[in-house]
Amino acid sequence: MRSRSRGRIGVRALIAVVLLWTVVPLAWMVLSSFKPADKLTASPPSLTFKPTLDHYSALFGGANDIGGYAVNSLIAAGASTLIAVALGCLAGYGLARSHFRGKDHVSFWIISTRMAPIAAVVLPLFVIFRTTGLLGSTLGLIVAYLTFNLPFAIWIMNAFFADLPPALEEAAMVDGASPWVAFRRIALPLVLPGIATTAVLCLVFSWNDYAFAATFSGPDSQTLPIAASQLVTQTEIDWGQLTAIGTIVVAPMIVVGLVVRRWLVTGLTLGAVTGE
Amino acid sequence: MRRLTFPGRMMTPALVVLAALSLFPFVYIIVMSLSSVGLIGGIHFSWSGLDNWTRLFTDPSVGASWIRSVVYFVATVGLELVLGIAIALIVHELVWGKNIALSLILMPMFMAPVIVGLLGRFLTDSTYGLYAWVLKSTGLYSGDILGSTKAAFVAVTLMDVWQWTPLITLIVLAGLASLPGQVLEAAKVDGASYWQRLRYIVLPMVAGVIIVALLIRSMDAIRYFDIIQNTTNGGPADATKTIPIRLYETGFRFFDLGYAAAIGLSMLAVSILVANLFLKTLQRRGLAR
Amino acid sequence: MAGAGGASLWLGGCGSSGTKVKPVAGDEWKQFAGTSLNFISENTAPTSAIAANLKPFTDLTGIDVKITQLELSALVQKVALDFASGQGSYQIIYADPYQILAPYHKALADLNAFQNDDNLPHAEALSDFIPTQLDAAGRFAGDGKLYALPYDAPTMIWMYRKDLFDKFGARMKQDLGFDPMPSDASTWEDFYKTSQWFKAHAKDTGVPYGHGHMAKQHDSLMNDFSNLLWAYGGDYFNDGVKVGRLGSADPGEPLLDRPEALQAADVYRRLVSIAHPSSLGWDWTGLAEGFTAGGMAMAPLWHEFAATIEGSKLKGKVGYARLPRGPKRSANMYGGTGIGVNGVASKRDQRAAWLFVVWSTQRATQLSNLKSTVGGGTPTRASVYKLPEVQKAKKPPSKMPNILTTDAVFEAWRPENIGLRPKIAAWNECDTTIFTQLSKMLAGQQDPQACMTNTKQGFEKAIENAAKSLRKA
Repeated sequence: MRSRSRGRIGVRALIAVVLLWTVVPLAWMVLSSFKPADKLTASPPSLTFKPTLDHYSALFGGANDIGGYAVNSLIAAGASTLIAVALGCLAGYGLARSHFRGKDHVSFWIISTRMAPIAAVVLPLFVIFRTTGLLGSTLGLIVAYLTFNLPFAIWIMNAFFADLPPALEEAAMVDGASPWVAFRRIALPLVLPGIATTAVLCLVFSWNDYAFAATFSGPDSQTLPIAASQLVTQTEIDWGQLTAIGTIVVAPMIVVGLVVRRWLVTGLTLGAVTGE
Repeated sequence: MRRLTFPGRMMTPALVVLAALSLFPFVYIIVMSLSSVGLIGGIHFSWSGLDNWTRLFTDPSVGASWIRSVVYFVATVGLELVLGIAIALIVHELVWGKNIALSLILMPMFMAPVIVGLLGRFLTDSTYGLYAWVLKSTGLYSGDILGSTKAAFVAVTLMDVWQWTPLITLIVLAGLASLPGQVLEAAKVDGASYWQRLRYIVLPMVAGVIIVALLIRSMDAIRYFDIIQNTTNGGPADATKTIPIRLYETGFRFFDLGYAAAIGLSMLAVSILVANLFLKTLQRRGLAR
Repeated sequence: MAGAGGASLWLGGCGSSGTKVKPVAGDEWKQFAGTSLNFISENTAPTSAIAANLKPFTDLTGIDVKITQLELSALVQKVALDFASGQGSYQIIYADPYQILAPYHKALADLNAFQNDDNLPHAEALSDFIPTQLDAAGRFAGDGKLYALPYDAPTMIWMYRKDLFDKFGARMKQDLGFDPMPSDASTWEDFYKTSQWFKAHAKDTGVPYGHGHMAKQHDSLMNDFSNLLWAYGGDYFNDGVKVGRLGSADPGEPLLDRPEALQAADVYRRLVSIAHPSSLGWDWTGLAEGFTAGGMAMAPLWHEFAATIEGSKLKGKVGYARLPRGPKRSANMYGGTGIGVNGVASKRDQRAAWLFVVWSTQRATQLSNLKSTVGGGTPTRASVYKLPEVQKAKKPPSKMPNILTTDAVFEAWRPENIGLRPKIAAWNECDTTIFTQLSKMLAGQQDPQACMTNTKQGFEKAIENAAKSLRKA
């Protein structure tokens, strides 16, 4: 019994270390966003301060209002997520229910597009966008985000649909339902958690994007991560506003991410591992 | 013409879009790599044969960037794997507060990499950075973290490790949760110690999941470069100039697009190789459907 | 040379017409009312000041200006991408002479066309701009065009803790055998020894290091090193003054492996070796923060940081001087930038953008920038410095902190003291080459000899690449 309780204490001590390692940077970021400017760059760092909302109010007002950036982020990430999930559901289902020669090759092609290094994708896309006039527009960003969200959504929805026994839909079809109705009424409702997970992950990936937005966005389509990087300036880095933006960018993603935590593992392993 | 089956019709819209988004750029980047591309005052390509490619294979600075990338890759993914498995094992042992602990642990994963980089700069700043101060006052390290070649490399590695270890933890935990309880109980009754159980039962049974975790992480590790770009941007003394940073610099600072395209294609080849491994693993596990 | 001569003729002709046009609310100022423009700028003091006070311009013209401020390397990339995109999304451009104007001047509009257009307001006297700056920030290789008007003028000067020099001056003089107080005669060797003294007496003085550098693998490292390069008699190219002031399409052979350059690299390495250890990770922002935090007694820094410093706890404790001299001269890197019009933008937008260019560089705006609490300007018009209220601000307590540096800066701007880096099309790659090689030297990976030889080779390759792509264009 004694060794058991000692083990418990050991586990707790270890978990404390792990939590310290994970949480401190985040906590420091949130804390700093409420610090008055002079305390932010105090040396050594200080923990006692009178909290202020200055940095947040500076972000939403004055010369560099981030409201517009937030709207762009929402539109670009949201629209790309919607399109990816919609098309992904159809194609994922199709892929799960079809058997044809070369299916492996198609699957491989789909997933390999998702693996392409961003720097290598940005390059030709820039030239293509240049020709098609997509540069500097939010539409361009939506398209750019589809390059990684679409293959991701297809692949994961495929995994979720493949877990459904086809017997259910077959039964419906025997009863006279069209394949579309069987998909729409039977299969789709059963993979709702999958859809939610896919949507959340697509949203996170595109919301957090920096490289595409840094290269493709124009004055009217800049997103929040770009706003953050712009606070690194010549005379100073505005750490107050930067940590405030960081908090604003990360908070909603943590919330939606944890909402679908049960299925995250399926999503993040592209369906290779299923959770609980 | 043969009519498409229902699944075929379901797939068509997505695959058409995906083809437009991937095949077209793919062909384009190949053509770029064989040309000299100018952008200012309109795009103009002029054929340059294998110039960019011979340059790629004879450019010592690109070679050095590849080596650095490999080291960075092995260091980040290796550490993430070891720590991720360890943390998963710890969390798995938790009886109370498991959900809360896991939620907290997962948080960094949802953070924009650019914010991770900028936050890393804040924490390691030699004048007012929290971690720089902790290291200095404990006497562990007193130099400038992002200013010395080794420390900067370690720092950007740890930033990546901080962000992505949770992913490995999450995946391995899923594997641990699916272990059959009876086997472990039986081993316990037989007097096997924790380490023995770990070594001979647990690890072999989750090995497959670990490989998936490794490959998933590998593929993303090749993709992103936001953290380095926003901290050291390759410095000091090129110590963190990994291949994506070199590519971005060549493409969008020097506007040497043809050469950048050649570098990009070589990266693409590597990532396709890893993706291939991933798929093979899935097939072996009977998971590719 | 012919181009330069033509330009000065033109200047003379224009002086009078410039003064008679005052920005009174007339039709010509209102003709683009309702237009929206984008101004992309490095996040510098004058732009912050203008961003905080755009109302006068909007009232005058009815034009809505949205300002995007970025860190320099991000700015350069964004502007280049915009030029390349062919869209002209940013109509008004903060055109760094070296990283933007030199490589991409073909994408900038020729401002002469606007200045000579009777339907547009004219810029106040161009001859009022400090002549070196009009050339350096506004023109390229004597092609007769005017690409930008001088917008700001940060210049590297020697910042030192006057309070400490006053307090320990006598003791230092005794220990060192010379007067450490910055003067015309101060040399980099003196600077080195003074720094060493501070480091050795950290306990008494309360500052841990004598000086710091902006030696991050970044544009800042090139700037910092160049001061030494020129001071020790080295240069980037033959006829460096001309390549720096006017720019050149064909600068010839780089001189970076000459003995003077090697010596400069060696001295620089020695200087960094005793400097604040964070120097290797600092760009100018980091160095200024380190200095403001009391980490060192001296720093070679952009003079516009005075605004930040005078707003900190170091208020009134800092002295400003021209940089030390080497065997050849004192060299003070000029980092000024012009404001230009995107030639890719629509013709109408270009003309509207011109109004902003005129307004943002006029006397009244430069004066109000100086007083701004968020930035503080660095006027590029000689007449601004002569205004009585500006003259008065030269003594602390000053409402225009940047003006405290005026004496040092005017010394630095003298033709024999100013440092002008090469204005060549291949500069971005050359810049990256030199700051990368220097960073490797400072990290102990190569000696000055190898560093400068590699730099020279890198320059040659970059120039060759640029020439190749120019031929094709």
